[in-house]
Amino acid sequence: MGVPVNNHDRIKICFCTDLDKSVLLNNFEKRNWVSVNSEDDWHFYWAGTNTCRNIFSVDSGYRMHDNQMINHFPNHYELSRKDLLVKNIKRYRKDLERDGNLLAEKTDSLAGGTRYIHLDFIPTTFVLPADYNMFVEEYRKNPQSTWIMKPCGKSQGTGIFLINKLSKLKKWSREARNAFNPQITKESYVISRYIDNPLLIGGKKFDMRLYVLVTSFRPLKAYLFKLGFCRFCTVKYDTSVTELDNMYVHLTNVSVQKHGGEYNTLHGGKWSVQNLKLYLEGTRGSEITEKLFGNITWLIVHSLRAVQPVMATDRHCFECYGYDIIIDNSLKPWLVEVNASPSLTSTTVNDRILKYKLIDNILSIVLPPDGVPDVRWNKIPNPEALGNFELLIDEDLAAQDDGNNNKDKLKSSAFSAHNRWK
Amino acid sequence: MEELKDASIHHTAIRISNEIKNMKLYSELYKSVQKIVCSPEVNKENIKSTLQAALLSNGLDTDIRNIVYHLIRSTVRNEYKITSLSSDPLNYLRRAGIQWERRVRKSLCNMCNEMQVTLQGQPRLSTDKEELLNKWNELSNYQIDLSNYRPVYAPKDLLEVLLSLKGPQRQEDDLHPKWEFSHIGLPVKKIYDLRMHFLDLIRNEKTANWSLLCQKVLQKRHSPLCQHLLKKGQTPTQYRGAFWAFVLGSHVEQYDQDHWDKLKLSVMNTDLIVDKLIFKDVQLTATNDDQYFVYEDVLYQVMLCFSRDTEINQIINQDIVNHSKTKQYDGPPSVVPFHGICMFAAPFCYIFDSPVKLYFTFRAFYIRYCHRLTTINTHPQGIVSLCLLFEKLLQTHEPELWSHFREIQIQPIRIVFKWLMRAFSGHLPPDELLILWDLILGFDSLEIIPLLAIVILSFRKESLMQVVTVENIEAVLADLSSIKILPLLQLALTNRD
Repeated sequence: MGVPVNNHDRIKICFCTDLDKSVLLNNFEKRNWVSVNSEDDWHFYWAGTNTCRNIFSVDSGYRMHDNQMINHFPNHYELSRKDLLVKNIKRYRKDLERDGNLLAEKTDSLAGGTRYIHLDFIPTTFVLPADYNMFVEEYRKNPQSTWIMKPCGKSQGTGIFLINKLSKLKKWSREARNAFNPQITKESYVISRYIDNPLLIGGKKFDMRLYVLVTSFRPLKAYLFKLGFCRFCTVKYDTSVTELDNMYVHLTNVSVQKHGGEYNTLHGGKWSVQNLKLYLEGTRGSEITEKLFGNITWLIVHSLRAVQPVMATDRHCFECYGYDIIIDNSLKPWLVEVNASPSLTSTTVNDRILKYKLIDNILSIVLPPDGVPDVRWNKIPNPEALGNFELLIDEDLAAQDDGNNNKDKLKSSAFSAHNRWK
Repeated sequence: MEELKDASIHHTAIRISNEIKNMKLYSELYKSVQKIVCSPEVNKENIKSTLQAALLSNGLDTDIRNIVYHLIRSTVRNEYKITSLSSDPLNYLRRAGIQWERRVRKSLCNMCNEMQVTLQGQPRLSTDKEELLNKWNELSNYQIDLSNYRPVYAPKDLLEVLLSLKGPQRQEDDLHPKWEFSHIGLPVKKIYDLRMHFLDLIRNEKTANWSLLCQKVLQKRHSPLCQHLLKKGQTPTQYRGAFWAFVLGSHVEQYDQDHWDKLKLSVMNTDLIVDKLIFKDVQLTATNDDQYFVYEDVLYQVMLCFSRDTEINQIINQDIVNHSKTKQYDGPPSVVPFHGICMFAAPFCYIFDSPVKLYFTFRAFYIRYCHRLTTINTHPQGIVSLCLLFEKLLQTHEPELWSHFREIQIQPIRIVFKWLMRAFSGHLPPDELLILWDLILGFDSLEIIPLLAIVILSFRKESLMQVVTVENIEAVLADLSSIKILPLLQLALTNRD
């Protein structure tokens, strides 16, 4: 018997990317990968969503072979399009409720009506124009509240505005319809209850950007990057009506904040999640802090489970989602949106280090131990390969432990995850 | 002998009780004792023992013990001053201290002249006052022109003065480079002494439920016990604020709240040149710091009040005033802001949400420790002694690094001075920095700072040996985010001889 020869030793990994980002290229170079064009035979493609759509479209006739890998799922937008996210979560709750699952337990809501006890992690949201009547009904229950309008398909804070009067919405819809550009009327919006009681630190509003890596949806395999950050508004938070139009106060997107006069290029308004945790433990206590972080992992896992049945399984794919989460002043986390192509532009030195590590860790998780993409691999990375990621859920591993039943396992894995958040 | 001892205890007791009578807390304390005396628990016939028992059951006993503990801690310092004063050879150091203080004040006065304002400040215009009041919680939106203001001094200015200190023993010859502190005759600890001092740090005892133990100690409200627990360097984050307040005796009482309100009022009423220097300093440091920028507004509040709190100098000078000819600076500013002063306060933002609580614990910490890092003094924990300690440790325990620095003609103190003067604030990530400050409080000593500086140099030794320029050395040491101070310090205190 001879020593088994590893065929991969001779394979030179060819990569292709649409994004000319140094955090990507430096990582590929570090691994001695070779850059090729998209027409060539590539092993690894870091693609924009458009390229991805082309590759997976029936028309292109492109068939990936076993040693190829790409950074999006064919229908990644089930999570990242604002309207689809809402639809999927609503359906997920209904399905659980129909099955009599305890997760779908409900209670009377303060605002009237009922709310889900365990799955109440997105602000009340409607898709416009489709759900307009439902929205008006909800609006009338609480006419004082502020709502936020976001175009479904856009990102980085474009096209977002706040509404605190129904008349303003009506005016907007008239104007949109009258506009010369017919595209605007076609575009659908989501309208969500605005979180008007955000947790403020140093008097400033912020949201969290967390990175979640999904290597498979069925079975679900997901990892959370521990080095997330908080994005701060440069302007003081103020809910007075005059400030309603000052988007710098409300939106924490870096792309919006960069245009504000007070944007700081040294830190870019970014504060690490570890610092947030240190601050909360010091000033509010560790129990409350752990509960918050436990709820955040809970929210992520259930948002993924919500899209699980509709996702196309393709073993060539993985996805790094950017989760945007707002914490309110009762320390409850709210899922605001999910991005399928989180920005890889580095705004500061630390940001660059963070994103370099992110890509490095992603590569080491998604690739088999020998470093060559292979769809036949079981996608169970070595613990050392995780780097700064922590396991959120792996249904393969959960199924391997057959002691308990699966529902408990999901619950406990989501709840115990916060202990590892260091 | 016994009698003498008794007499000494008696005198100490009288002195302490007199001091307590002069404290702000006295009237409240007296009232509480009066209440207890009137309670049925206290018996007229046997007043001493019944009162004692009542004080104990009431918890007032602990309060009094804590007061005595804080008093003794500050008076021990007094006695040190007295003994060290008799040793004449260090007089030049004292003179240098006075000169440095004078120079800093003078440079502030010059700035006043340039700006055509007085040091005592001027009444704030009513419009300005209103704006300041409205923006008290968002002072980053309070716009003032700071372009003509610059920090009065920076760490490197103090370092230059320290490096030029000349003692009687100092020989001006070319064989000995002039960049050592070893000619200064201050006694500093050797590694053996440090090991003895920090013994609790390396004692490896496992406590089953550490967090529960901490909770119990806090319930006892016993300051010395709190201090002892901090020595472990494993203070649970959520209890840190309570621990620090007990060790520093900085719980906020009504008179503290009143004092804070007075300071705030003074900020509103008087426009001081140091206000601008404070704004400038926060903007130059904390505002640009990715660990602390979120606390910008809190820091403005705290530092503006700090700069006009005359109690700070009164307390610091209590132990100097009788013994030296130092000119007393009573009026504002209490402390001349230098580049980076707000970084002494910044770490407290991770512990206290309320500016008032933050203020008084920070102030107590400053009075007990930080001010020694920016004045030239003979205190064993003053910046001169710490520099000397650093140098001696490096020489004895990292001879290779020492000679490497010599070869490339770079003074090692230049590399680490910014760490020492800021007690690592802004250099270590906040979680590690707070552990370091736990240790300062626990062991009641700043000597941990030069020790940590050595430990970090040792840890990065290999990389340091390969570089020969200041820039490259600084690059090797720029990022301390991966430093875990506890295991490194423990290793340094156990492994070496």
